[in-house]
Amino acid sequence: MADTDEAAIHLPSHDSAAHIDTDLSDETQDFRMLSNLSFLADTSQATLPKRGEKDFEPNPTLYQADILDASRQAMHNALAHPRLHNPKNQIIGIYAPDGPAPPRSLATPKTLDTIAENDTPAHTADAEESQPKKPAGTGTNLHPDSCVYVMNPKGQFFKNMGRADRWGRIWLLPEEALYMLERGSLDVRWPRSATGCEDDGETEDSGIPMSLQAAYACFIGHGGLTVDRFSVYSGLRRLGYTLIRAPGWYDDAEEDFEQPESTKRQGPGLAGIYGRFMDWLHSSNTTAIGPVAGLGIHRSYNDIYRKLSIIPFHDPTAPVSQAPQTKPPFRVVFYVYKPSTPFRKSAPPAPDFRVAVVNARTQTTVPTLAQLGTLLESTPLDPPKGEKMERMLYMRLRHGYRNVVLAVVDQGVVSYLRVADAAFGNEKLYNRPAPSGNKRGANHRNPRPKPKPKGR
Amino acid sequence: MTQSNPMPSPASEAAAAAVKSESTNKNAPQGRPGRFSRPNYREIHRFPLPLSVHPLPPLIPHNPLSIVSVLLSYLTYLIAPPHHEVYSAYFDSETSSVHVTDAKAIRALWEMGFFGKGSLSRSEPSWLEREKKRRGLLGGVTSEEVTRQRRTERRELKLERARMEKLAIEQRLMAEAAAREAGDTSIDQSALPLTADGVTSGILPATEKFSLRKAREAKLSESQRSVAQMEGAYTPDAPDISPSNGSKTVRFSPVVQAKEFVSESTVVCAPNSAVDEHGMEDKPSLNNEEHLQLSNEEAFFLVYGLGALQIVDGKRNAVLSPPSLLSRFCQHSHCPPRDRSANLEPDDPFMISYIVYHHFRSLGWVVRSGVKFGVDYLLYNRGPVFSHAEFAVVVIPSFEHPYWSETEERKAHCTRRQARSWWWLHCVNRVQAQVKKSLVVCYVEVPPPMFGETNVSSEDIGALLARYTVREMLIRRWVPNRTRD
Repeated sequence: MADTDEAAIHLPSHDSAAHIDTDLSDETQDFRMLSNLSFLADTSQATLPKRGEKDFEPNPTLYQADILDASRQAMHNALAHPRLHNPKNQIIGIYAPDGPAPPRSLATPKTLDTIAENDTPAHTADAEESQPKKPAGTGTNLHPDSCVYVMNPKGQFFKNMGRADRWGRIWLLPEEALYMLERGSLDVRWPRSATGCEDDGETEDSGIPMSLQAAYACFIGHGGLTVDRFSVYSGLRRLGYTLIRAPGWYDDAEEDFEQPESTKRQGPGLAGIYGRFMDWLHSSNTTAIGPVAGLGIHRSYNDIYRKLSIIPFHDPTAPVSQAPQTKPPFRVVFYVYKPSTPFRKSAPPAPDFRVAVVNARTQTTVPTLAQLGTLLESTPLDPPKGEKMERMLYMRLRHGYRNVVLAVVDQGVVSYLRVADAAFGNEKLYNRPAPSGNKRGANHRNPRPKPKPKGR
Repeated sequence: MTQSNPMPSPASEAAAAAVKSESTNKNAPQGRPGRFSRPNYREIHRFPLPLSVHPLPPLIPHNPLSIVSVLLSYLTYLIAPPHHEVYSAYFDSETSSVHVTDAKAIRALWEMGFFGKGSLSRSEPSWLEREKKRRGLLGGVTSEEVTRQRRTERRELKLERARMEKLAIEQRLMAEAAAREAGDTSIDQSALPLTADGVTSGILPATEKFSLRKAREAKLSESQRSVAQMEGAYTPDAPDISPSNGSKTVRFSPVVQAKEFVSESTVVCAPNSAVDEHGMEDKPSLNNEEHLQLSNEEAFFLVYGLGALQIVDGKRNAVLSPPSLLSRFCQHSHCPPRDRSANLEPDDPFMISYIVYHHFRSLGWVVRSGVKFGVDYLLYNRGPVFSHAEFAVVVIPSFEHPYWSETEERKAHCTRRQARSWWWLHCVNRVQAQVKKSLVVCYVEVPPPMFGETNVSSEDIGALLARYTVREMLIRRWVPNRTRD
């Protein structure tokens, strides 16, 4: 970055057209604002830095060169700023490659002949060998993919991360451990069993810290964690979201499919019967060679539109007949909660977003209807609600009946797409009264006083 | 991104300035004399379809007179049935398109439902009007002229901005050179309000940035003083900018400038030339050279759906029946057109696009081609003169029926037909976000072919269409930064 800037600064620009179309977010940032960051100087005043003005093209002035220099210096300062970790707040996790296991001090008596006198630890130990277990004492279930445990859980991270076992240790999933390790909040240690010094000791802690490279090597690929999933996880986590694994994480997992019991199959009713009668009355068989609208006298445009609607469309409100068989990668792997959503580890609420992670290099094409349809059907019905939605047609259509977020990871770059089942067919535009304005009257979006820059 | 960003990029600034220029126009009518008043579109386009409706008088049960009036209206229709207008068009097989040349039909199809496009216009067939105005026969401004004028102004302002920036840079270079001669760095510091961290205040000299808005305001006030003077002052300025070694070389390229002056000169010279041409314009030689071009989907909808149009084969002068028209359009949806004898396939491009067209039309949307925005269709509420299109539709066929995965050949065919790359989707999505439209991906479920019956003309078109299913998915970029609350 610095090199290209340096090269460009003293040269007249060759092609200014190349600069026109670049996205602002893709440009080199003006880092001078970093020297305003309050945490560098003192932590008392917390203000967000303001971005300075930016030049788009290099010119031969010293002034611009100085600005660039200052910006670079500010960036350097920010990066060079020492980040200190207080040893009192240090969180140490111990890698457990074999998944959750009882502590050494308890596991050893199990192998001895103490089973008869006290069978509770043995029970749990046995249970922990197999799949998701429920330690009788605590009532929480540990995730079988957890591979790091923390003896001294401190700090705000454990509010929505990790699961505690009955011995007070917090077990972290690989993505949780890797995320905390990456941001410097966790120190992972190799276990004694892995280092070879298999001497007796109270704990598994060998005292040898795990490097970031080793952590990536150990955790990526552990329990279905891929780089794509981890980049989605860490990206959203850094923005403040809370993420948990969805049932669709495992390729072979059956997703819990709650049959919406609230969908009542109501009879046609009097109005419905009347409507059917009228439909039958109107459906003179003119669709064979047309005109569909009929040859006779038309009484109203709505009648014409009603006759014209001969194309079947998908109705998302109809109950899904059988459990959808989603196939990876088009299945929900993360439940995402907004930072403002109250989240309890023990009883996670309904997620704000459901995210499916797609690798754009292995799945090179946009999903087909079958893939997208089953993915959407695996999410619960979320019809547009509220007074605003009632009023605004466009908003209602944009919200859709079901929705899911696709995270398309293309070699580390994540693009999120929100897919919603729109059901235009349920919204008869012709039934809406014509708005009063001459122009822009039909604009149901938030008031947009200015006309759009581009054509219509 | 550009919306949330406090720093305008050149493009967004230009757009903002354009918006601004429109809004300032309303406040300052002296900037553009004779701003044309908008026609009463509600009156012109009060019929959503080119069909006439005759509502029955209301039937009030306790008022026997209302029954009489209802009966009377029935009787009138029985005796003198209202005339059902059927317009006519012809199919041109060389260009695979449908043309309407009758002026009355053109007006009717455009005004009632916004069908077709003028072959010499942007959308509404307005060539004749424009031509008349150009020759000075008619007052007022067409929408094309307004657009052209706006574009010229915008380009002028951009040139002006570039000039100002260039000026600022030159001034600074001179100041720096002077400072260097003085050989004292302290002067340099004082002359340039820049220290290593002093810049962080974000306040830069006012000369450094030049906003289009300011330029516009300046220009307005200047034009109030004297238009001619300004133009005189502007023209000699231009040449001394272009050869300099500056960064804006492209904007000062001679081509742009030539265009600039061509468009300006036409605007300026229009009255004069009109006077010259008046002499020969006395003979009414101005024929309408424009016709209305219907897309094949529109034409088929008008014929089969509404019965408001009949299409004549351009060669044989025979009216095409809906089934033969359907097979004709299907053949012409391939390039080159398929043979007459070719069978109708269920995944024919015309069938798929017509399904979507008919579906949205039957819901009351005004459907128009979205080729300018890289999509298949645009959906307008009531019509393009009333509001911008909110939805942009791309059509993707879908082959879920087991028939399509029976053989490897069919599988490959279907994969080829429905495959779209992620990059394509991102491109389309970005373009729609830029023009503030919502992207709708409309999947059309293609049925297996009908066995036994190969001849489409004996078939029921309605039953054929009813075998397809459409499903709309709304796709939008999800920006996690914005949904955090």
